[in-house]
Amino acid sequence: MMDRRSFVKKVLNGTIAGSLYLVWPMGGDSLEIPEEIPGIKGKDYDIHHQEFAFIVDITQCIGCGSCCVADKREYNVPDGNYRTWVERYVKGFSDQIYVDSPHGGLDGYQHPRTDIDEKIRDTFFVPKLCNMCKEAPCVQVCPVGATFISPDGFVLMDEKRCVGCAYCIQACPYSVRFLNPVTKVAEKCTWCYHRVRKGLLPACVEVCPTGARKFGSMKDETSEVYKILKGPGVLTVLRKEMGTFPALYYKGARREVI
Amino acid sequence: MNLSYRLRLLVVVLSIGVLAGGGFLFKQLLLPDSFGVYGPYRADAIAEAALVPIRHGTNTSCFKCHPYEAKNHKKGRHQTISCEFCHGTYADHVADSKKIGTLPVKKEKEITTLCLRCHNTEIKARKEEVIKTVAMPNHLKDQNVKLTHNCNQCHYVHAPLKYIIRAKQITGLMEAGS
Repeated sequence: MMDRRSFVKKVLNGTIAGSLYLVWPMGGDSLEIPEEIPGIKGKDYDIHHQEFAFIVDITQCIGCGSCCVADKREYNVPDGNYRTWVERYVKGFSDQIYVDSPHGGLDGYQHPRTDIDEKIRDTFFVPKLCNMCKEAPCVQVCPVGATFISPDGFVLMDEKRCVGCAYCIQACPYSVRFLNPVTKVAEKCTWCYHRVRKGLLPACVEVCPTGARKFGSMKDETSEVYKILKGPGVLTVLRKEMGTFPALYYKGARREVI
Repeated sequence: MNLSYRLRLLVVVLSIGVLAGGGFLFKQLLLPDSFGVYGPYRADAIAEAALVPIRHGTNTSCFKCHPYEAKNHKKGRHQTISCEFCHGTYADHVADSKKIGTLPVKKEKEITTLCLRCHNTEIKARKEEVIKTVAMPNHLKDQNVKLTHNCNQCHYVHAPLKYIIRAKQITGLMEAGS
């Protein structure tokens, strides 16, 4: 039993206050979720009236690999597989293109390439992730309906239904799919669907220090992606000639980027 | 003649009915629930995808319990950097409002490696407008410090210029061109 004097002393010292702080519930959800995508948190999610866009600004990317690290941690992606990765493009004066992506950019780019003899004209980083095609080849080829385009425009995977035939992996023109060596089913970037449904930005957008990755709702006229897509800036999509109609746009992508 | 025609007709109609009905039942048995609500896939898979646990919080989640770091981080040049990139994910640290694990803090050479992930001039794809880069070890030589110094011996990692600016104010030194 503690007498009043020592109790008051301990409270003032902070030893008891600290323990009370641990015991008292912080109220509500453990993760206080701020509203990063307006109009989703705490509201009925109307799946038929949603549209999202992702913009990658190549001119802002510094190749730090934060996005790759965040992605690996968010999903515990097995080593050697990448849901998102960063490629380094080097263009010589002879128009020769050199592309590399050691560990998918997970360790960042600490050293320049030493194997290029010619003078370098241009060099830049290109983050890659799922293009969320409106006409997705991976969905078309799935024999069991395990991958689909949800009414809100996400190309998602049904892991319970997938039989691991890897047909979609061959079909994807952007090589974003892989067969998970642990679960033996196809896996892909979902633009962090679980986060978006809670009003949070995808993990890679969350951690990007320069704002090279931008995500937002097209139904929200104040969102950055809405303003960019409405504005006059040149945006491109990858492999336009394939008619996949991606919802992932690139800003500042050179013609060599595929 | 007439009877056998009717009999044959009956057999055909019945067999079509049995086949169609059997096929329908067979399909119902094989198809999972909620298949075909939105299209040729399981609509429940969307809800399942939305229920994947979140592992990354936001900087706001971290600042709630780390006010000192919050104060400096929000003011400094590193304000756009995610806490979790250097320290690890929120989910490894907190669950149900309780601390469940200690996140590692980067030390010594690890810090320099981490800094150079972004601030290395050798990687030419980094534009000046986007990030300030330095060449190592030239930067250390220019600043007249030992080549064994780590970045955090001069730069406070949460607000890299905080003490540099303060030191300059005290000593009255001005950087060339400023």
